[in-house]
Amino acid sequence: MTQLNSRAIPAGIVLALVGLIILAPLAGLLNLSGLPGYEPGDLRFWHSSYIRRVLSFSLWQAFLSTLCSVLPAILVARAFALQMNFPMRGLLLRLFALPLVVPAVVAVMGVVSVYGSGGWIPLGKSLYGLNGILLAHVFFNLPLAVRLLLPQWQSIPEHHWQLGDQLGMSTWQRWRYLEWPALREALPGVMLLVFMLCLTSFAVVLTLGGGPKSTTLEVAIYQSLRFDFNPARAVVLALLQLVICMLVAGVTLKLQRLPEVEITLSPGSRPQGRLQKPLDMALILAATIYVGLPLSSMLVDALSGPLLQIISSIYLWQSIAKTLFIGLSAALISVIAGWFLVQYSAGLAQVGLVNRARLIDLAGSIVYVVPPLVIGTGMFVLLSSHVDVFNWVYPIVITINALMGLPFVIRSLGPALRQNHARYHDLCQSLDLQGWNRFRYLEWPLLRRPLGLATALVAALAMGDLGVIALFGTPETATLALVIYQQLGAYLIPHATVTALVLLLLCLAVFWLLERGIGGKSDA
Amino acid sequence: MCLNSRCFGAGLLLLSMSFAVQAATPTLVVYTYDSFTSEWGPGPQVKAAFEARCNCTLDLVGLEDGVSMLNRLKLEGNNTRADLLLGLDTSLTAEAGASGLFDTHGMVLENSSLPDPWQDDLFLPYDYGYFAFVYNRERLTNPPTSLRQLVEDEQGPSILVQDPRTSTPGLGLLLWIKKIYGDEADKAWARLSPRIVTVSKGWSEAYGLFLKGEADMVLSYTTSPAYHIIAEKDSRFSAARFSEGHYQQIEVAGLVQGSQQKKLAREFLKFMLSEDFQTIIPTTNWMYPAVLASERLPAEFRQLIDPSPALLLDDKRVASKRKAWIDEWLEVMSR
Repeated sequence: MTQLNSRAIPAGIVLALVGLIILAPLAGLLNLSGLPGYEPGDLRFWHSSYIRRVLSFSLWQAFLSTLCSVLPAILVARAFALQMNFPMRGLLLRLFALPLVVPAVVAVMGVVSVYGSGGWIPLGKSLYGLNGILLAHVFFNLPLAVRLLLPQWQSIPEHHWQLGDQLGMSTWQRWRYLEWPALREALPGVMLLVFMLCLTSFAVVLTLGGGPKSTTLEVAIYQSLRFDFNPARAVVLALLQLVICMLVAGVTLKLQRLPEVEITLSPGSRPQGRLQKPLDMALILAATIYVGLPLSSMLVDALSGPLLQIISSIYLWQSIAKTLFIGLSAALISVIAGWFLVQYSAGLAQVGLVNRARLIDLAGSIVYVVPPLVIGTGMFVLLSSHVDVFNWVYPIVITINALMGLPFVIRSLGPALRQNHARYHDLCQSLDLQGWNRFRYLEWPLLRRPLGLATALVAALAMGDLGVIALFGTPETATLALVIYQQLGAYLIPHATVTALVLLLLCLAVFWLLERGIGGKSDA
Repeated sequence: MCLNSRCFGAGLLLLSMSFAVQAATPTLVVYTYDSFTSEWGPGPQVKAAFEARCNCTLDLVGLEDGVSMLNRLKLEGNNTRADLLLGLDTSLTAEAGASGLFDTHGMVLENSSLPDPWQDDLFLPYDYGYFAFVYNRERLTNPPTSLRQLVEDEQGPSILVQDPRTSTPGLGLLLWIKKIYGDEADKAWARLSPRIVTVSKGWSEAYGLFLKGEADMVLSYTTSPAYHIIAEKDSRFSAARFSEGHYQQIEVAGLVQGSQQKKLAREFLKFMLSEDFQTIIPTTNWMYPAVLASERLPAEFRQLIDPSPALLLDDKRVASKRKAWIDEWLEVMSR
């Protein structure tokens, strides 16, 4: 118990900081009454049919998008898990991390290149509406879910597979008794994460949705804070979104089973029937095509663009440096903060305080749904009267991105850490293995892989971020994502496709380096 | 490497000199939109040209768009660093003026090339343009010749437009239809709606989709074809001329009330209306300069359609009605 208490302190500090970074800006915005030209406006908007419609559409599309992304992702992740050896497996898995970083507008162009009326698989006008939204959301989230679910199969101990083999288990029985219990631990969290990503989707929903029928709460928040300039209304809507996510999270995480299985390090070959391999390969191929088509269309567009002109521009290299700096700093902070949270929640789960463990996970996870525009504007309000905000652009952008990355850290690190705990906690107690030594000899070798994934995900996410940087942007801080938007806004569409390719390659490189460097040699 | 103390001393001296230089030259801070400040926008040339004559540093701060600039200024109030705002447009000037955050410019607009005389004590225009539907002549051979025809012809072309809640051209079309149809605007939207492929968040998405061939026409500017002609040597694109006239967007700059450097700021406003500034505009911002004789425009601009008569609603009316009009639009378009 003393160890648990000592863990409570860093976790408590992290939670307090997260709370402060979110709530203080909201309070700051609510407090804005003496602004020029500001009218408090009508806050009783739940009577308005507009907000009711927006709310139900947001939830419905997020629910459908989650189902369409995560259910196939289970099958694909399983196929990857069972087929340990085939050419380009590692590369494919890394490609699966790319959609996450594609700026929304570029992804929309990619989806339209594939499914638009002049595309490879023309859907015509029926693309615009729920179809387009789902296609784009699955493109973003299926690969992410595959990456987050895949480690669950690795966590099934080798001797369980052998035992299953000796008992002559059928594929169904193996699924039911070996795989499903392991999967259940991570699945609710992954579903929640995808749900939040889709709930807060903005440009994709608006542009592919066909019209204002497809409006999410995020759009209403943006509208309140910008055109209507009604910060109080924006805050109330942001809180509404937060509460909805808490409810959904409460239900989802109730389904989560904490681990009863052990972790293993040496995945061998999996026993499988004759049909298993072709079936798995077909699934992997289908998923690869689905994810690969929009990415290839971006590649095709970029290769016909002014490649040399852009690569030789000094501005590009400056923005690459800025993008890397922001991405890596945010990842570092996010992973350290997430580590403390997950450590504490794993400790709580270990001693049976499951609900409290869940609550900590939850607190760290739902920060994602507070729109960066709201946090950023709020921070601006708080800071601008005391300091010169222009000198604070980097700290603010990095902090908010680190915060937005926290749910990804918790999702990728949480399950592994809890399993690690369940298996080795007693051993550590009896050996009095603590602190740095415990990290060095026990946690690092076993957790470096999920740690690598977490760092890479947050870095990639922050590198593709636009919401925060656009708010504070000055010419000195144009990141690649912002440059892409600037080019698109200046008719320079061919240039933008090249810059987007540079961003993708940069993310691929960072992903590879972080996963290899932190996670070690073996592929996910 | 230079590690000895003499070297260190020289370094310190250099450092203090650079501070001294900084203190001597004032910095003029201008909030603008980021496509103005970007590498290919007017920003770099404007900065070089103004700094060559002002003995000052021009700090162009790029924000998302006019709305962001105004909101930022409202949030900062008297603590703002901005001396000028450059890039508000006529749908925002009434609201901006009512905020009390701007000072009079005290200048007279001479030789204006705007279609109508300019009367505003707070804001000065630097460029302007007209909204229009742009199309590819190879794809669409008989474009509509009036807004009424576009709205009412059920067999008409498919179009891409922007959302008035999030985009300036989107709001422009809303006002254009309001100007032509008045109280019947909601019916006009209902008739037009089936041919709208999608309503995008901003100009970039809609224009990108248009170039991908997703629709016959896209809401943009009459000057858009000039970009394709000049920068891409591609003359397939045209703007459809509508007989009722085209809704106008005038981009303006305003002097911030709390500025400590009003003299320098007014110098910038003067520079903004000079030929040096005005000739940068056509091929970087792709708009019509506010005070440049038409023969000084690039030759390709003469191939563009004549958008007259210029349509504009009174900015105070827009400010007071905008929310109601957007709600009306939402109601029709969400059916």
